Amino acid sequence: MRVIRSMLGLALLLNLLVIAACGDGATGGEGEVQGRLIVTGSSTVAPLVGEIARRFEQKHPGVRIDVQAGGSSQAVADVQRGTAGLGMISRSLAESERHLDATTIARDGIVLIVHRDNPIDALSDEQVVDIFTGRVRNWKDAGGDDGRITVVNKADGRATLAIFLDHYELQSRDIKPGVVIGDNQQGIRTVAGDPHAISYVSIGTATFEASRGTAIRMPRIDGQEPTLEAVHRGEYALARPLNLITHGSRSALAEAFIAFASSPEVHDLVEAQYFVPAVE
Amino acid sequence: MSDVKSSQPAWMSNRHFDWPDRLATVLVWLVAISIVAIFVWIVGDLVRHGVPHLSVSFLFEAPRDAGRAGGVGPILVSTGLILGVCLAVSIPVGVGTAMLLAEFTRRGGGFGLLVRRSLDVLAGVPSIVFGLFGNALFVIYLGMGFSILAGGLTLACMVLPILIRSTEEGFRAVPDDYRRAAAALGLTRSAALWQILLPAATPGLIVGLVLGIGRALAETAALLFTSGYVDRMPESVLDSGRALSIHIYDLAMNVPGGDGNAYASALVLIVLLLAINGLTFWLADRWLGRRITPQ
Repeated sequence: MRVIRSMLGLALLLNLLVIAACGDGATGGEGEVQGRLIVTGSSTVAPLVGEIARRFEQKHPGVRIDVQAGGSSQAVADVQRGTAGLGMISRSLAESERHLDATTIARDGIVLIVHRDNPIDALSDEQVVDIFTGRVRNWKDAGGDDGRITVVNKADGRATLAIFLDHYELQSRDIKPGVVIGDNQQGIRTVAGDPHAISYVSIGTATFEASRGTAIRMPRIDGQEPTLEAVHRGEYALARPLNLITHGSRSALAEAFIAFASSPEVHDLVEAQYFVPAVE
Repeated sequence: MSDVKSSQPAWMSNRHFDWPDRLATVLVWLVAISIVAIFVWIVGDLVRHGVPHLSVSFLFEAPRDAGRAGGVGPILVSTGLILGVCLAVSIPVGVGTAMLLAEFTRRGGGFGLLVRRSLDVLAGVPSIVFGLFGNALFVIYLGMGFSILAGGLTLACMVLPILIRSTEEGFRAVPDDYRRAAAALGLTRSAALWQILLPAATPGLIVGLVLGIGRALAETAALLFTSGYVDRMPESVLDSGRALSIHIYDLAMNVPGGDGNAYASALVLIVLLLAINGLTFWLADRWLGRRITPQ
């Protein structure tokens, strides 16, 4: 009797769970997902994925998503080793990483920044290359005032450096930097403090900093207006995708999270982090 | 000051050579004043930028919008847990090793020398190396994952050299008369250690603890790879938890518009450090120092 009763109780409980799962499944797609997911990688993407994870956890109470920041290369190593279920990279997959699967959740552009007092309004691709390779060393040769140019370059391994080099078909050793920096914020601070400096940073970060009065300007590059709208329309050449990557077959939880992270439900979070939502 | 003057040889105080003396005085004053100025500048800057973002709810709320809004509640809890794990491991091991070095090995003995040399090398290792070591040993090899436990143990490894060396100095500073008197009174070695030598060595232990806690609370690099980046309220020490220093780093470097809360968090960190140091002095004085009164 007792066994039957407990079985009945269990059946009832299961039933309730299924109903609850269906109620939730209406928005989530399939059945209720459970468990823990470890996400590691790019420190550019980590704050965004952290916010997406928080919203995902609210929708699925049985889920915990741990976001760890360490860099795009760490993401690749961790998903291959299996220490992370999901990786975050702030670039496209390289040739040697084609065996991984990537899903773009947002886009970020790279923009050149100069000091606010620098009268330069536009630079051609050729001028940009000349400045960064040291062929042009004074602003007056690039159409500006007299003053020695300080080239602020990113450290090796930074995704923005890779995209910059790739776009201008340069090698890391071609660049003659006056200052080498790490993060976007550091680049903005360096340029805001030096009237003759030039650097390149994330367009979302630069737009935000310029709007709150930081002493930087974004000249047009080769006639392109560096705006978030241009990145959104896919017209901006110096853009990079922010990807979630996996290795091998995806768990149900990873699948559900990737679907959620690339859905319109998180577009407000993407915009709040000054990125551009990915367009399918 | 007076030190500089009295150390001048007699020929310098004759009128003809008076100016080097003056110059030295001015230089020493300038250096001392600039040290104070740097301290005042840093704290003043933190207070000026941090106070507008500070409130009681900042201490208890969870961070929102990647840390731009909300507070540091879960982060304070994680920081406390990491420090707790670190101290729970490092104090017994540290005091034990210091006792061994000071009381049970000969001054010039081979084993003591080996331990001391290893500690000196460890004390000079950059924290990022401890981070990678902690990541390899605790996180991956021992399977703890990114967790408060792994972070605390890594910090313990980092803090131990400082703690051991200064506690050892504390033991060595205890006059040999104490040991002879204890032996003359027929105290066992362990009774002499616990009742007399350890309380008398407390000043050394406190210095080690204060330095160690300072290093642990300020640590970013070693924790990024061990206790991790998760800013949720930790449920156990096996959860990943973001330390205050990592939160400040993240807000300042990765989050556009996060600098206001970064300043506020830095202010919280400094106040926390001062409070913990004060508490350390008070507890050590109360528990150990009162048992005996050296000198």
